[in-house]
Amino acid sequence: MEQLHSQFRKLARSITASAMLLAAVAAVALTYTSTGGASRDLLVGEMLSNFVLVLGMQVFIGNTGVLSFGHMAFAQIAAYSTAVVAIPLATKAKALPQLPFGLADVAMGAFGSTLFAVAVTMVIGAIFGIAVGRAKGLAPTMITLAVLFVVDQLVKNWTELTRGAGGLSGIARLTGNTWLWVGAFIALVVAHAFQETRIGRFAIATREDDLAAPALGIRLFSARYSAWVVSMGLMALGGSLRAQSLGSVNPKQFTLDAGILVLAMLVVGGMRTVSGAVLGTVVITAGNELFRQLGDPQRLAIERFPDLFLGGVMLLVMVLRPGGLLEDRDVASWLRQRTHRPAQASPTSAAAGTRTLEARGIVVRFGGFVALRGASVSVRPGEIVGLIGPNGAGKTTLFNVITGLVPEQQGQVRLGELDLSHAKPVDVARAGLARTFQNLRLFKNLSVRENIELTAMVAHRHRAHRARVDVESLLDAAGLRDVAHRHAGTLDYGNQRRLELARAAALAPEFLLLDEPTSGMSDSESLAMVDSVREAAARIGAGVLVIDHDLGFITRISDHIVVLSDGAVLAEGTPDDVRNDPAVAAAYLGSHA
Amino acid sequence: MIKLVQTLVDGFGVGSTYALLALGISLIFGVMHLVNFAHGELITVGAYASYFFFLHGGSWWWMPVIIIASAALASVATELVAFRWVRNANPFTLLLTSFAIERLSHALWQIFVSPKQRAFPKPQWVFNTFSVGGVRFEVMDVVTIGVTLVTLAITAIVFKRTMFGIAVRAAAEDFDAARLMGVRANRVISGAFAFAGALAGVAACLILMRSPAADPSMGSDWLLKAVIAAVIGGLGSFTGAVLGGISLGLLETFTRAYLPDVAGGLDRFSTGVAFIIIAAFFVIRPEGVLRVATAERV
Repeated sequence: MEQLHSQFRKLARSITASAMLLAAVAAVALTYTSTGGASRDLLVGEMLSNFVLVLGMQVFIGNTGVLSFGHMAFAQIAAYSTAVVAIPLATKAKALPQLPFGLADVAMGAFGSTLFAVAVTMVIGAIFGIAVGRAKGLAPTMITLAVLFVVDQLVKNWTELTRGAGGLSGIARLTGNTWLWVGAFIALVVAHAFQETRIGRFAIATREDDLAAPALGIRLFSARYSAWVVSMGLMALGGSLRAQSLGSVNPKQFTLDAGILVLAMLVVGGMRTVSGAVLGTVVITAGNELFRQLGDPQRLAIERFPDLFLGGVMLLVMVLRPGGLLEDRDVASWLRQRTHRPAQASPTSAAAGTRTLEARGIVVRFGGFVALRGASVSVRPGEIVGLIGPNGAGKTTLFNVITGLVPEQQGQVRLGELDLSHAKPVDVARAGLARTFQNLRLFKNLSVRENIELTAMVAHRHRAHRARVDVESLLDAAGLRDVAHRHAGTLDYGNQRRLELARAAALAPEFLLLDEPTSGMSDSESLAMVDSVREAAARIGAGVLVIDHDLGFITRISDHIVVLSDGAVLAEGTPDDVRNDPAVAAAYLGSHA
Repeated sequence: MIKLVQTLVDGFGVGSTYALLALGISLIFGVMHLVNFAHGELITVGAYASYFFFLHGGSWWWMPVIIIASAALASVATELVAFRWVRNANPFTLLLTSFAIERLSHALWQIFVSPKQRAFPKPQWVFNTFSVGGVRFEVMDVVTIGVTLVTLAITAIVFKRTMFGIAVRAAAEDFDAARLMGVRANRVISGAFAFAGALAGVAACLILMRSPAADPSMGSDWLLKAVIAAVIGGLGSFTGAVLGGISLGLLETFTRAYLPDVAGGLDRFSTGVAFIIIAAFFVIRPEGVLRVATAERV
């Protein structure tokens, strides 16, 4: 019941935010059209169909941070799908006498042809999306670029279906801009609502850090793929509406250049938020039109001033304000903050896990360099184990092996009975290991609270068998309540470290793996960190494996210490044993005692 | 057999132009993680430089110098004007910045020269032919492949033997470490842009000798192919860029020449097929042919 209520609140918020944005745009558009002729209505119509396309790109590019050049290809598929069913039968028989797939006898109304186009495009898009979602680095961008060219070539050459480069005309036209306003509203609601869904939040996490997100149990593929499929739906709606408002369709409307115009609208306003996408569309449409009128048609065959404007604005925004004009300011998050009622912290505590984490005989080679030669470490439930050793001893590599980031050549990683030797980072995290990173990998453009909430959402979904972690009390314990609304990237170093600890704890893990949690901290902060880590671990019932250079910190916090040197275990035992071991002193001080 | 040899020569010809451009793109990516979509504009700069040079009585003897110098200067200028200010931004911002430059370049040529194509005379010997063993070759084929080989040899020497080349490679491996070792960031980056510009200039010479004309958006098509080639090879890998360029050239010419034989009636889709193969390649091997060890630490 409470769940349903919260879903409803989110939807209501999306609709409110959409209505507010659309009202603002309508006010601008009405002022503009009331002072001029019918050509101004055309411009508003063009802007509205751009809206849908920009929001389509926002859902994927803005949320996942993966650049796609191929989105326009899917708007094109939708536009042509609309055309082949929306052109009246008699016209169609003349223009496309050899139409395949039995489409020759199909005639649909505006509503039917739009739905048809969206369905066709989403199916085709969903297939391509598998490739895009799986790829890493620049590959998805390159795949989408190739897809754009493939679709362009198909449209130009599959003349039975498309009539080639000349395009198709005679599509039943929508009168006036009413349906375009409706389409823009639908797109706004979808884009807003997607950001409220769990998978939408996960997509945003992958944008902020595509290494930390999987390490906290967020699957890169499903987050990106969902964003892709939803965004295909909007691109299809935009393409179909454009075809029906112009009454014709041709390949020139969907070139790489046309796609970059839409992309510019997205990034100039601020791609991370829906409000940014809306502002960008208005600014670029208005500026384009203004500069088009500046062009002298007598001297210049085609007006090139719009390109001057587009290039200039993009350059200025990228240099001065790379997050876009609005950055993260957003009507939806303003509403969220206004309606946010700070929940009472309700500290919970969990029973300690029952499984032992064990890495045995790990061997890792990077080319000729042997980073780990048979290192082993084990952590019992609820135990705190310190991992120390000189630089280059292989501490972080051992972490990376345990958490699945680096494959081991030999050896085994086990959590109780569960074999994690070849598990991927996301599965390791879901199995119950949460880690922090040596060089801090927070979701920088999200608020402190959102950082913790994100992993709490993963825990709620995939680690429901553990006691639920209370976000508010984690904020309190980390001393971050006063800065809970600030962007994680704006915190000072110590607070960022504490936030990373709280974020990992929110996963309700059985083991916390902390990579240098006190690096960059003052002595007094390090001391306080001993209690913070102990307290967090006890609260969630987790064992801890911790790397640090600060011997004072490590000896205070650890029940057991493992000393790595040169990729193998040099010594282990209680802090006192290790402190008195001459071999350890030798490794640290370099003396040959 | 004759057709095979002819197709191979054609493929290497167009592929080597891609390779020179891809090498520049890979070089810039190596030092600053920028996929430079403005790189193709250097061809346009070279083309307009030679157009104006011809207007003032220039000849093809001096043309390569003019083209290469103007492309290298323009390349350094883009870094000074734009890329320097976003140097530490994320790759997405960098890429869009280069797009902005590309747009501005298109606009400026259109406004200050003309949106129409400007042609100038081509060198006399370009389409002379000779035959070896029954296969006819154009002189230009030999020039293209020869010039590319010489350029690649010079590039290899620069990057293996000179201080500058070693500094650039070190920077490509791990910029922070290179800086700590005393490599000067500004100088290395400017140098890399100058070198990439010169390589684009050589490519521009080869392109302009075949079709001597300047038009505002001529760089775009070449650029897209070159970016694809660089990514096929593995961004940041110099050998990869050359391999990527040559393979892309061969792929294009072979699908165009042989697709009609294997699938009659489908030849109109040959360009599409080439791109499908490229997309499939990125799916199977997203890091490119040669994996580049990244310096990212976790």
